[in-house]
Amino acid sequence: MTDVIAPEAIPAPRPPRRPTRHTARWVGVTVLVIAAGLIAVLATRPPTTTTEVQSPLLGHPAPRISGVTVDGKAFALPRAPGTFVVVNFFASWCVPCQTEGPDLVQFAFQHHKSGDAQVVSVVFDDTVSGARTYQATLGATWPTLADHSGDLALNFGVRAPPSTFLIAPDGRVVAYLVAPVTAADLDQLIARAKAAGL
Amino acid sequence: MRSRRFPLWTLLGVVLVVALLIGSGVFSSSPPTNAQRAAAIESVIRCPSCEDLSVAVSTAPAAITVRATVRRLVDQGRSDQQIEDYLAARYGSAIVLEPPTSGWSLLVWALPIAAGLAGLAIVVVVLVRRRRRGSAALDADVRGPMVDPAVLEERRRFLTQSLADADAEYLAGDLSDADYLSLRQRDLARLAALGDAGPPTEDGGPGPGAGIGAPTAPAATLLAARPAEAVVASGGAKARRRRRNRWFLIGSVACFAAALIVAVPVFASGRLPGQTATGSVSLSPSQQVARALDQAAAVEDQGQLGPAAQLYQTVLDAHPDNEVALAQLGWLEYRIGQQGSSATLISDARTKLHQAAVLDPGDYAVHLYQGTLDLQLDKNAPGAVGQFALFLAARPPATVVSQAAPVLRQAYAAAGTPLPAGIPTT
Repeated sequence: MTDVIAPEAIPAPRPPRRPTRHTARWVGVTVLVIAAGLIAVLATRPPTTTTEVQSPLLGHPAPRISGVTVDGKAFALPRAPGTFVVVNFFASWCVPCQTEGPDLVQFAFQHHKSGDAQVVSVVFDDTVSGARTYQATLGATWPTLADHSGDLALNFGVRAPPSTFLIAPDGRVVAYLVAPVTAADLDQLIARAKAAGL
Repeated sequence: MRSRRFPLWTLLGVVLVVALLIGSGVFSSSPPTNAQRAAAIESVIRCPSCEDLSVAVSTAPAAITVRATVRRLVDQGRSDQQIEDYLAARYGSAIVLEPPTSGWSLLVWALPIAAGLAGLAIVVVVLVRRRRRGSAALDADVRGPMVDPAVLEERRRFLTQSLADADAEYLAGDLSDADYLSLRQRDLARLAALGDAGPPTEDGGPGPGAGIGAPTAPAATLLAARPAEAVVASGGAKARRRRRNRWFLIGSVACFAAALIVAVPVFASGRLPGQTATGSVSLSPSQQVARALDQAAAVEDQGQLGPAAQLYQTVLDAHPDNEVALAQLGWLEYRIGQQGSSATLISDARTKLHQAAVLDPGDYAVHLYQGTLDLQLDKNAPGAVGQFALFLAARPPATVVSQAAPVLRQAYAAAGTPLPAGIPTT
């Protein structure tokens, strides 16, 4: 047997205390102001593609790119290369690098014909032999710098692979991307830089 | 009581502040060495490829490069600010672990201080209010029963009634003379105490319950009969206890102060300028070298020759005579030099290995490296065999011998010398 409680015995629940009209108004106004501020800040930021990020180097002359390649050859990029240069920091163990690899090969092939852009790879946090094998398997025929000292990565402010910089023909850094790039992304960035008169 | 304890806490505070000041190195005036400066800067630079670690504690190759760069810039005589700016121009201002004290980042510094001050103000206000209310309640507790005339009258009436009852019982022959006298004395004394509005007696005050429950116990009767003496006696015990407590407190503060004065400078002296007093491990110079060598060996084992070479170079910068670093760096330079066909690196490798061999002729690794150079670079098989003989004479571990076996077999075969025992033939 369960105890039957007469409905009258249960006191009617008291209505919860509602905030006064003033409190509600202040909370509402505060939330609105914060939301408006956020919208204003986000709306006034420069539009970026999904993978493009800020770097102190943007708009400045690129650091000097020179050194020994993984094949033991010396390589140096002129201060004003005369073509667009895609500088790609990579490691053979890095999965996003493997994703973008074929696109880089395609990009390099297309622009090798037109002669308006070239690719330079830099080994980041990897063994030279591992990087050499990786590049050979990928079919990358462009120079791949070993960067034993890590100075190239430091001068470009690279934190993790893959990191890709686009350098204009006059030697200035025009874009910095940290996610896998596609050939279309790079073409679009080059078109944008050309439109800006570079 | 409260006002007497105050100087002790003041003393404790002063001791604490002085000890911390001594420990913080404010009074030490010797300028930091380059290595100390570099270590201080490294502890505030974020490791580029890891989250929330300084380059001082990270072994990531990017962190090793940053460390080498910081040391190079310090040696060039750049200021701390210039070095931070140099790195910030490459990685962005977030490379410095401490946010800048200007612009929006100032909020990061100001808000915690403001919040702390606000919290302190709230605590002070609450404490002051509570103390005021507390002392008011205490006053009410001491004087309350005496002040309230209704309660006072009620107790007086009860005691008068109790006296009347005792009279009646005595007259009826229910009480002995002695019992009657003690009861009467007790109630009269309580009545007198009530009239004086003095402090409550030890046995819980002249409450109605105590009046009825206590009379048969002799000790309680005695106490109740002489309330004034009882108060004095317990008051004396209290004073003694209070005095003992005070000496105990003074003793503890003195011990704490002595320990602090000894401990803080001792533990803080190993700290480098710029390092925080808590949360960072300071190592002795020999420990630092051992740690750097371990790190270098680990990085070398991963096949990252460049970063490993930089770590060995760091050790050599501080200790040019470190034989292990010389030998390992020489060997690394040879390997890197071969990859890049760099004659300068290879000749530098030769010099380093030679220096290492002079410093410690008993190190088997140096002879193994020198023998390999003789064999692979100079095609000098007899020279290599000579080095390998020294290598084997230094009793290397079996794992090293089996690793080196292919090179050894090659050298002995080329020189036409029979392979010594103990070397795997296949």
